[in-house]
Order: sequence, then C-alpha cells, then structure tokens
Amino acid sequence: MPALQELERDYKKFRADRAAQQRFARMLSNYVGRPTALYFAENLSRQYKAKIYLKREDLAHTGAHKINNALGQALLARYRGKKRIIAETGAGQHGVAAATAAARLGLECVVYMGEVDIQRQQPNVYRMRLLGAKVVPVASGSKTLKDAINEALRDWITNVESSHYLLGSALGPHPYPAIVRDFQSVIGREAYKQIKNETGKLPDYLVACVGGGSNAIGLFAEFLAEKKVQMVGVEAGGRGLATGKHAARFAGGKAGILHGTKSYVLENSDGQIKPTYSVSAGLDYPGVGPEHSFLRAAKRVRYVSATDKEALAACVALSQSEGIIPALESAHAVAYALKLAKRNPGKTILVNLSGRGDKDLEILMDKINLRS
Amino acid sequence: MTRITDTFARLKKEKKPAFMPFMVAGDPNFAMSLRILLQLAKTADILEIGFPYSDPLADGPAIQAAGQRALKNGMTTGKAFQLVKKVRQAHPRLPIVLMVYANLVYARGIKQFYAAAANAGTDGVLVPDLPLEEAAPYIAAARQRGIDPVFLAAQTTPSARLRQIFQQARGFLYAVSVLGVTGERKRVSPQTIRLIRRLKKTAALPVAVGFGISSPAQARAVVRAGADGYIVGSLLVSIVGRNPQAKDLPQKIHKLARTFKD
Repeated sequence: MPALQELERDYKKFRADRAAQQRFARMLSNYVGRPTALYFAENLSRQYKAKIYLKREDLAHTGAHKINNALGQALLARYRGKKRIIAETGAGQHGVAAATAAARLGLECVVYMGEVDIQRQQPNVYRMRLLGAKVVPVASGSKTLKDAINEALRDWITNVESSHYLLGSALGPHPYPAIVRDFQSVIGREAYKQIKNETGKLPDYLVACVGGGSNAIGLFAEFLAEKKVQMVGVEAGGRGLATGKHAARFAGGKAGILHGTKSYVLENSDGQIKPTYSVSAGLDYPGVGPEHSFLRAAKRVRYVSATDKEALAACVALSQSEGIIPALESAHAVAYALKLAKRNPGKTILVNLSGRGDKDLEILMDKINLRS
Repeated sequence: MTRITDTFARLKKEKKPAFMPFMVAGDPNFAMSLRILLQLAKTADILEIGFPYSDPLADGPAIQAAGQRALKNGMTTGKAFQLVKKVRQAHPRLPIVLMVYANLVYARGIKQFYAAAANAGTDGVLVPDLPLEEAAPYIAAARQRGIDPVFLAAQTTPSARLRQIFQQARGFLYAVSVLGVTGERKRVSPQTIRLIRRLKKTAALPVAVGFGISSPAQARAVVRAGADGYIVGSLLVSIVGRNPQAKDLPQKIHKLARTFKD
C-alpha cells in the first residue's frame, strides 16, 4: 500500500509538471507517430450500408495502442527516479511496448510472461530480447497472463525501492486503472476531433474490444459526457459462452477481487480464479478493469462478446475488403461492429482498431486455410 | 481474552517465544494434511493454516506449489473449515490462525466466512492482500465472531500507517521480515532487526516474525531482537513438495519442527 500511495503522489506531480507533459506530447508525436489516422472503411461501409470508421492504433509505433501507456509510464518511472521497470505481458504486445520505451529512455526492463504464452508468441519474445529486455518465463498457475501479473507483483514488492511496475492495462490496484486510462485517453481525444472534422458530428456508436480494457477506456473516456454516443465493449466469447471456454467476464463472472481490484471476475463458487480461453492472448484474462464494471453498472456502456469464429471471420473480411490485417483482439471489435452495422443501416460506427495482426500470423495460418 | 492472547501471555511469563508453524490446508490431500496438522499441533504454540488459493500473490514458489497440490486434490473452502474443526476438536486450547486471500473471504460473503471460521474454532484470521483502507467490514465481521483480525507490518510501512494498524489489529502483529514474498532466506537482515525493534517500541500487541525464517538460528536472532514469536512456513511446506506421496510426512515435518523449539 505505501508503494501505491507513493505512486499516486508522484503521478499527481507528473501530471501537473508542464515540462514532463510537453516531453510526453513530443514523444507521442515524433516517436509513436501520433495522431494516428481515422480511416473511413469505404468498402466495408458500402457492403454493410453503414458508415464504418477505424481508429488506426495499429499504425502506432510497435503496432498497437500499448505504446501510449508504456511510454507514459516509462517517463513517469524516470520522473520518479526509478532505474528499473517491471512489466507483464500476455500476447507480448505490452511487453514489446514496455521494452521499447525502456530502450528509448535507458531503463532496465524485466518482462514476466507465462510459459504457455511464450510458446504461442515466439516472435514477440525475440523482439523483447532484441530490445534489450529480460524475459522471465512464469511456470506457476495457468502459465498465462494472470500468472505473469502475479509474478510481476511479487517482483515489485521485493524490489519496490528501485523499480516501477509498468502495468499494461486499466486494471490492478488504484491508481493504475486511472493512470493507464489517462495515458490511453489520447486515443479518444484524437478520435473525437477527427470524426467531427470528417463528418461534422459525433458517431452513433463506439466499439472496442475489452481484455483488461485499456484501449476501450482510452477511446470511451473523451465521449462519456456525450449521452447520444452509444458505446459497446466486446469481450472474448472463445468457443461460445455455453462451452465455458471463454473470457467473457460480464457474461459468466461475478464481483470478485483479483490483482488488487474489485471487479467482474471469472471464478468458481469458492472464489478460485478460473482458467480462461480465447484465440486472442490479449483478451485471455479472468478479470476486467474496474472502470468497465462501473460503466456497465451505470448503464453507460454495453458489454457483449464475439466468439473466436466471428473474430477470425472479421479478420479475413477486414483484410480482404480494406487491406488491413487487424490483431485478433481488435478483430473482436470489428466482428461486433459488422453485426451492429447490419442491424443499424446508415449509422456511423467508430471502431478502435487497437493493433495490427502481424503477431497473429502463426495462429491465423493454423486456423484459416487459404487455398485460392 | 482469546486463545492467542492467553498463549502469548503464558509464554511471556515462561520467557519463551511462540513457535508458529504454517501449513497449507489440504496439502497434499485432505487425509494427509489432517495427519500433518494433528502431529504439528503437538509442537506448535500457535498453528497457522493457509487456505489454498489459485493466485497467492504474497507467496513464494514453495507455498504456491502447496496450494496447487491441494486444489488439484479437491480442496475447497468448506473442506478447509472441516480440517480446522478436526484440529480444534483434538486440541481445544491450541490457538489456530488462518491465512486466507481476500477473494476467498469475499466470495463466500464476508460475514458468512467469519461465521464459518468461528464455528470451526478459529482464533485469528490474516488476509494478506487486504489493505487497511478496505478492511472495515472484515474487521467488524471478525470482532462480531470473537476472531482476532491479524495484520502484516513491513519495513516499508510508514509510522502513521503503523499507528492505524495498531488500532485495528488484535492477537498479534505479523512482522514481514523481508521485502517480498514468503520463502526461505539465508539470514536475518539488519532491516528485519530494526523493524522488530521499531514495532516492539510502539506496539501493545505481541510481535511475530514471518516470511523467510528457515533455520533455528534465524528464529533465535529475531527473538533476541525482541520478537515474541516466529512463523515457519515454506521450510516445512517444502518437505511435502519434495515427495508428496511419502507416507511419513507427519513424522518428517514434526521432526524438523521440533528443531525450532529450543
């Protein structure tokens, strides 16, 4: 707790420090490549008779929105005088983003990653090592993201004086969900201006995938006060909710405490955390950011799920109609957006394309047979 | 007066420290775990029982593995309470302290959990991942059932926060001897000694030291620094880890435990 209180205090100072904020803004522009484009998906829009816009976070440096938060927190770590950062990663996207920010800012970087994820995301493991990070395999529990977070937290409580824990999603104990939201909210701030410039009005719908929920909260935050904008968070439906093999916390979970936050959790009746399943490693987590639980309870955001199959089909559809290969996480959002478009002709739908799909090629090759 | 307070008072008069062995409920299975606990109860001044949890953040590899063994062999919160009850029936005067992660308490319902704990014969409950800021309903439920809420104190805990902990804690203070998770360590650090002295100066409660006590020499060192007791967990638990099938686990663990009793 004292470490969290210290972090909260330092973060408040960092936020109020004009020079620090200017430096962050400069790096977002000349290192990350912001603002990212808002792209009108003309072919899909014609096909589905709706106006579909994609916020192209896949074009950010390292290929996903994760870099916004990684860079922000790495700057914060330097600001706090910490020389070492600790990160966890599932798919490897946050690990790569953290390793990138650490390399750029001269910080030592240790990334915890479950053995199962290391097996299925080899290129990202190599990428992190190439960037100078130390990747530590985690063999405990289910050997996936939640166990990597356990191990990262254990490292942090052991090395709390020298290290900053660079948490990758809008979850964990306060102030992390707020810090991550703030660093990611650049997505929504840009999208708000871009869609207004482009269409002269705000969109009817925002759609984003929700694992921990950082890309979704980053997009939603700026629009929360705009009551007419409907928002949808898309969870991983895995093999279907009925099979039990999914990561749809809002559909199958209940209120619980995981990694220092109270939110919706997939657990058994005793409170033992259940293993989750999704074709996309980035959505494969038994808990969800607490602000999403709040927004759901307040009926401000609706949460739905897309199955593996739907996400894979959406991945192919976007690749072949627009020439954009989305990350499997983002493909969940695309899948639901297409459903929404079918039901609501003429409406404007803004989808957060949180990452690019290069990292998923091996899985795609395994799942989708392309002969023609 | 609870069994915990009584025991520390009696040991103080006898000028002895409290030996507090820790085992995970249901490790490696219900029947063997019961035999181990009943055997340990003969040597223990206070018995600490951890409930297995899928994501034990405060624990090192030895206790993580113990929890996984127990869960794999069908341990549940309900069965853990049955174990506690059986130990209680065999040892009516032995103080029993549970270490339980917050989600297990929350999932059962906070009041219901403490009611079941009291019914099983529990004297104290430590929730290692429960910050003081969120603890009010847990403390109220514990007090209502006559259970001592036990709290951790570490070298990084600021003095103002320690004072708040002293106000809420009952039974004893659990001093975390190292920064980090449970597990064996080579020696007692000067920071640990300083922490014990700092706690003893201000705390009205007895101070027991845990996390990393893995030899009788270390136990003696913390007692010399003023500790009223010491908790030995990972060292004992790893005996199960080395050979979970061994028939003589209770004897082996008991033999090692006895080396800590002077």
